[in-house]
Amino acid sequence: MRIRTIEYFIREAIVSLRSNGLMSFASISTVALSLLILGIFLILVLNLNNMASALESQVQITVYLKDDLSDHQMREVGTRITKLEGVNQVMFISKDEAMERFKGRLGEQQTLLTALGDTNPLPNAFEVKVDKPEKVKLTAQAISEFNGVENAKFGQEVIEQLFKITKMVRIFGVVLIVFLALAALFIISNTIRLTVFARRKEIGIMKYVGATDWFIRWPFLIEGMILGFGGALIAVFVLSRTYSAITQEIYSSLAFLPLIPQYPFMNNISIFILIAGTAIGALGSTISLKRFMKV
Amino acid sequence: MIHMSGVSKVYGNGSVALSDISIDISKGDFIFVVGPSGAGKSTFIKLIFREELPSSGELVVNGRNITNMRPSEVPYLRRGLGIIFQDYRLLPDRTVYENVAFAMQVIEAPRREIQKRVNSVLDLVGLKDKYKCLPTQLSGGEQQRVAIARAIVNNPVVVIADEPTGNLDPETSWDIMKIFERINKAGTTIVMATHDKTIVDTMRKRVIAIEKGRIVRDQVKGVYGYED
Repeated sequence: MRIRTIEYFIREAIVSLRSNGLMSFASISTVALSLLILGIFLILVLNLNNMASALESQVQITVYLKDDLSDHQMREVGTRITKLEGVNQVMFISKDEAMERFKGRLGEQQTLLTALGDTNPLPNAFEVKVDKPEKVKLTAQAISEFNGVENAKFGQEVIEQLFKITKMVRIFGVVLIVFLALAALFIISNTIRLTVFARRKEIGIMKYVGATDWFIRWPFLIEGMILGFGGALIAVFVLSRTYSAITQEIYSSLAFLPLIPQYPFMNNISIFILIAGTAIGALGSTISLKRFMKV
Repeated sequence: MIHMSGVSKVYGNGSVALSDISIDISKGDFIFVVGPSGAGKSTFIKLIFREELPSSGELVVNGRNITNMRPSEVPYLRRGLGIIFQDYRLLPDRTVYENVAFAMQVIEAPRREIQKRVNSVLDLVGLKDKYKCLPTQLSGGEQQRVAIARAIVNNPVVVIADEPTGNLDPETSWDIMKIFERINKAGTTIVMATHDKTIVDTMRKRVIAIEKGRIVRDQVKGVYGYED
């Protein structure tokens, strides 16, 4: 393809954008809005995921000890656990403490415990925290093989629950994003349809004098891509400004919330949105051209 | 140059526009296609530049078989053809020069060649002085001359014209026909559908008469043969 031809395509696209000024403005705004919402959701989902995995890492292993251990033996087990790689924190929970907690959890239904009489069926235990979530399972397995350990459980249910929630949020996010992408697609294809309609005479003549379909398509494709990219640019600008303001605010007031830091996170989001916007623009004009370019 | 054998065209609604047309048109021929309105003249013309596809039969234009031509080949077929309509079909927001140059731009001709060719064809149709005008500033005859210039700027082997003088007064029509004759003398085949009795009867070219979708007459140095 000649450089001059590319120049011609871009010039035609810009002429068309200008002559369709109001419609171009409307579609850039709508694409910007759609991508803005898409971006907000994306940032939300990714941050939720981030928080979920932060919570996952806090999941602890509960080590139940055999009933017949002496204090000394129990302390020995504790020491061995502490020496394991990746273990951050080991806390002893005696069977009495465990009973107190259990009572607390039962609340008004404590009468259920009267059936037990004075016996306490709960074992002595250690609560173990590890530095990385992926180490939880292996560490629990290692501990369960120690002498004097009845078994070692980790909050599998909790993790599974978290995964379920994350999955649901993701599904909802994908559905919303698909819906918004379709809306943006519809708007761009509609704008290009108007352009194609306004230039149908020109397209007809181009076909009669032997222009290839691609030669005819390119200016419209470029126009769509400019619309998509323009909208994305606005969305990216608003999103990164807003995110930077929010993270600064939260870091200073709610420091415990594990927000993903601005860099390089927002750069990646921005690149994604710019590519998505351009792709939506290209796709939108392709749809219109497929439907309306038959002269 | 154009070869049809057993060509028929049935439109989607079942109406038969052409049936069993067989004809050979050689290089350098000048042909008038005549016949009553709705007889199939326009369909005949449209088949040649593949605006319509034949329903059956064999159709070869400029060495290309149209019947089994892929859509991507159509532009290259049309680069060998010059197409002219009754309503000129010029771009109203572009000058005479730009309208003609457009036909070369879209097939990516080099700029230098575009300049040379456009000036030369504008000279041929007698519009060299009006190259800066917009179509709205021109008379009907002048607009049709721009359309002719655009049709021949890429050196087509066949010029196809559908009632090119249909909107013009007799005197202007003659100016247009003189241009067609000049183009034909240079070796370009011309196929023209027309309703203009005087022109056909005066020029005495080959005449193909189509009635109810069939060729009823194919006459060398023919006449119009219908009352106006």
